[in-house]
Amino acid sequence: MKLRKASLSVLGLAAALVAAACGGNTGTNNPANQSGTLTVWLMNGSAPQSVVDGVNADFKAKYPNVTVNVEIQQWGEIGTKLDTAFAGSSPPDVIELGNTLVAKYAAAGALEDISGKKSSFDNSGTWLQSLTDSCTVSSKLYCVPYYAGSRAIIYRKDFFTAANVQPPDSMDGLLTVGQKLMSAHSSDPNFSALYFPGKYWYAALPFVWDFGGDIATQSGGKWQGSINSSSSQQGLTKLNSLVAALSRADKTGDEAKQDAAFAQGHIAMIIANGWEVGVITDPKAGDPSLKDKLGAFPIPSHTAGQTAPVFLGGSDLGVAAKSQHRDLANEWVATFTNNKHMTEMATVGGVIPNTTSMLNLGTGINATFYGAAKNSKFVPNSQNWASVENANVLPDMLVKIFTKQQAIPDATASASSRITTLLNGGG
Amino acid sequence: MGLAITAPDLESAPRRPGRFRTNLLPYALISPAVAVIAGILAFPLGMLVWLSLQHYGLRELIAHAGDWVGAGNYLAILADPVFHQVIVRSLLFTLACVALTVILSTLIALLLLKVRQAVRIIVMSALVFVWATPVIVTVDIWQWMFDYEFGVINYLLTSLRVGNFIHHNWFDNPIQGWSVFVVIVVWGAIPFVTITLFAGLLQVPSDVIDAAHVDGAGAWQRFWFVTAPMLKPIFLIVTCLSTIWDFGVFTQIYVMLNARPSADYYTIAIYAYRESFGVTQYGLGAAIAVVLVLVLVLVTFFYVRETVKVAEIA
Amino acid sequence: MIAPGTAQGVLTGRERAATQVGLRLNLGQRAKQLLYDATGVAVAVVMLFPIYWMVVTAFKPGRDILSLTPKWIPAPFTLENFHDAITRPYFLDDVKNSLIVVGVMLVLGLTTAFLAAVGTARFGFKGRTAFLVMIIGVQMVPLNALIIPLYLMLDRAGQVDALPGVIAIYLAVVLPFMIWTLRGFVANIPVELEESAMIDGCSRVGSFFRITFPLVGPGLVATAIFGFIQAWNEYIVAYVLLSSPNNQTLTIWLASFTTNHGPQWGPLMAGATLTGVPVVAFFLVLQRYLAGGLTAGAVKG
Repeated sequence: MKLRKASLSVLGLAAALVAAACGGNTGTNNPANQSGTLTVWLMNGSAPQSVVDGVNADFKAKYPNVTVNVEIQQWGEIGTKLDTAFAGSSPPDVIELGNTLVAKYAAAGALEDISGKKSSFDNSGTWLQSLTDSCTVSSKLYCVPYYAGSRAIIYRKDFFTAANVQPPDSMDGLLTVGQKLMSAHSSDPNFSALYFPGKYWYAALPFVWDFGGDIATQSGGKWQGSINSSSSQQGLTKLNSLVAALSRADKTGDEAKQDAAFAQGHIAMIIANGWEVGVITDPKAGDPSLKDKLGAFPIPSHTAGQTAPVFLGGSDLGVAAKSQHRDLANEWVATFTNNKHMTEMATVGGVIPNTTSMLNLGTGINATFYGAAKNSKFVPNSQNWASVENANVLPDMLVKIFTKQQAIPDATASASSRITTLLNGGG
Repeated sequence: MGLAITAPDLESAPRRPGRFRTNLLPYALISPAVAVIAGILAFPLGMLVWLSLQHYGLRELIAHAGDWVGAGNYLAILADPVFHQVIVRSLLFTLACVALTVILSTLIALLLLKVRQAVRIIVMSALVFVWATPVIVTVDIWQWMFDYEFGVINYLLTSLRVGNFIHHNWFDNPIQGWSVFVVIVVWGAIPFVTITLFAGLLQVPSDVIDAAHVDGAGAWQRFWFVTAPMLKPIFLIVTCLSTIWDFGVFTQIYVMLNARPSADYYTIAIYAYRESFGVTQYGLGAAIAVVLVLVLVLVTFFYVRETVKVAEIA
Repeated sequence: MIAPGTAQGVLTGRERAATQVGLRLNLGQRAKQLLYDATGVAVAVVMLFPIYWMVVTAFKPGRDILSLTPKWIPAPFTLENFHDAITRPYFLDDVKNSLIVVGVMLVLGLTTAFLAAVGTARFGFKGRTAFLVMIIGVQMVPLNALIIPLYLMLDRAGQVDALPGVIAIYLAVVLPFMIWTLRGFVANIPVELEESAMIDGCSRVGSFFRITFPLVGPGLVATAIFGFIQAWNEYIVAYVLLSSPNNQTLTIWLASFTTNHGPQWGPLMAGATLTGVPVVAFFLVLQRYLAGGLTAGAVKG
């Protein structure tokens, strides 16, 4: 096994060297003379059309003979589509990848190593650390951070006022506030003070991290699941008590409908991304009248006055190793993520930009979410992480805990050994 | 048998003079079909088997170079307790779905003979609408109807005083969850089978039934000894096709569980897909798919033999 | 409505007799009839309910869709969801592509299947059993398992992100069922009809086209409907193969109602209703042939 892997990585290295040698030429040419077609895959809902049009216009001004086709891809089974596309002879040149997927494709040789080009991207010195981490595999850079998403608690200001409570500054305070809200709404059988669907593992991680726990740790190249460590269990115990006391959400469901549920008016708090405010108040799907009644505060730490680290979601932009126009593709990524367009992504798109230097762009309710990005963490950065996600290890563990099918020590122990196996490449 | 009366006598056909000039004609007639099926599916099917003999992860897929492991993937599957559960579960699920589909469809088809025409129009319309609606759409609707908070089923059951189904989770308990999937799959399968059976029932000559009636046969006896044997070819083909479709069921469960079914809800088709695209073990996934086909061949062997036999006689 | 054709087209002597007898039903029989009819209506209601729920939802404004107390009737009523659905970019392209894919597939499939059906139904030849077993066996392989091989094959042929590749796959997948069904219909037509036409001076081909072809019409219709439903509703192959937005089909358009923000239920249900409309329309136009047609096909196996 070891020998095989070693020889494969040598092959990969050789291929990368050859690729680098071939790719070098185009860069020295006059941009105006370069021609070709770039294919870009962006995910449905990631960038506003106006921003993409602006990027393409700027790119066209510099490379008049290059055609850029931006193709919006749908989410359903995107992993399958990416697998086959990378296996084919002509994958798209630029691909938006969810930040938890990058390591898998980078390690398999699907993405170009752009370590040497890092400085050519704006703000590369101040990229959000967690996003940079997601692009880094074996100390090499395989993608450019695109945008981030971080979670905080969205709450109903009017419910808080009526129950005479303030946003809490500690986890215990969160429980107290929630209990007061529960008793204020005791006549409503559908009321949740903190609506927490059982499979919502992104929102469970802050509790684990806040007590010093983690999903897994790496030492000497081997991963060891640590979701069963005593600090991890402490966090999950805290979360479990909050969910038991404050949530009537589906203990086996996921968070897909939480915004629509929130808009129905029987929920005081949800753990959510900044853009979910827009979904809640959307006139077609939600309730626009809630616009002035919504507030946000960071997930509090168990230490009063501090905040818990949150999971930093988001997307990165990678260039396919098989691309015929790698330099042009990187040029396009550089244009897309430059100061001008990243500012537009934040102001028009409403997402958290890829650099700490722009975190002050968040205003109003958004400021809370931008702030949360500063104290953020990421999942174990392993090529096999996608397998852990696809095997539903964490959601299944949470469901078992919340539904009391298993006690926390048992549920975490079996999840942890599964994580250890999967992260180290086992089935 | 009444139905066979008008059938051409194929076995003796080649001996008739002037039936066709050359023996090559039938081969010429099937050659486009063979060309299409073989031309498009031979390579993928061959590659599927070849993949199942390789260690093939994402890196190998991108580089187009796997490691030969021979029967390794198959041995791994056979030693995998999860796989045994999945096989047994898929078989039980198929059995339940096929049995319910055929029984309910037969009952509805018989009922269609009894109801007045206006009612028949209504029932047939309903069947057609169900059949014509895309599966990916109907699964979305069912998912929503069985929703924990907003599901109309929970609301209906509660307001009909069947019990307290407010905030009832249907997929918490796998037995309940699988029952829901049986309902969804059978619901989707009933139109095709019912319409086919009803059409067949209309062709059962009424004099045969009447004769049985005169002989004092009860309704059940008339069905079991007169109607059912005549419909044997239809029963064979719908059972065979239903078995194939239900054993390979994927979309209903996969979409219903938000593309993230837990291991309790793996069918063999989902298991194969998950091993391939979930944990990027394409060799293992291919091996599971091959085993799926082998199990299906075993299970349907009897039907296929009978079906082809009936076709040969016809 | 559909069934007048269906029912009348296949109304047999037995049933006509039953209707006449019905006039003289006594009270007990009348109660029995009422019970049958009531059961029939109940079956229809249960079967139709999910479809009803989809259509009703499509007409509801956003806030009424996910409500803790379900609303049985869309009041207030809105066309907003439909407007939202059809004004999405590339909607018309996707409709056009779906029609092209299904149309071309059906023409090629029916022609090929018809020839093979005649070959296997009219002639005994060496390898016929093997051919019949093959067309049943091919249907046992799950399409999902073939995604990678199919993709790599089409990649080599330069047909990724092109409609012909998708058409070819659908054709190969639906063809076995088409052959099987049509074979039954052809077998059901007495050879003697053709032969008598030949005696009357028709050529073999002429008699075939004048006699056999019209009689097998219902079979072609039944087969066409089945093929239409299969190809129209397929998602994963179309999704994996087709990437440029102007090349995609309607099921991918439907998938666009689910963003990373979750599904947008109202437009999704409106889109789903619209996607179902052509299938139902195709069905309604051709249904009069179906019941009789399916019978012939199925009875003969």
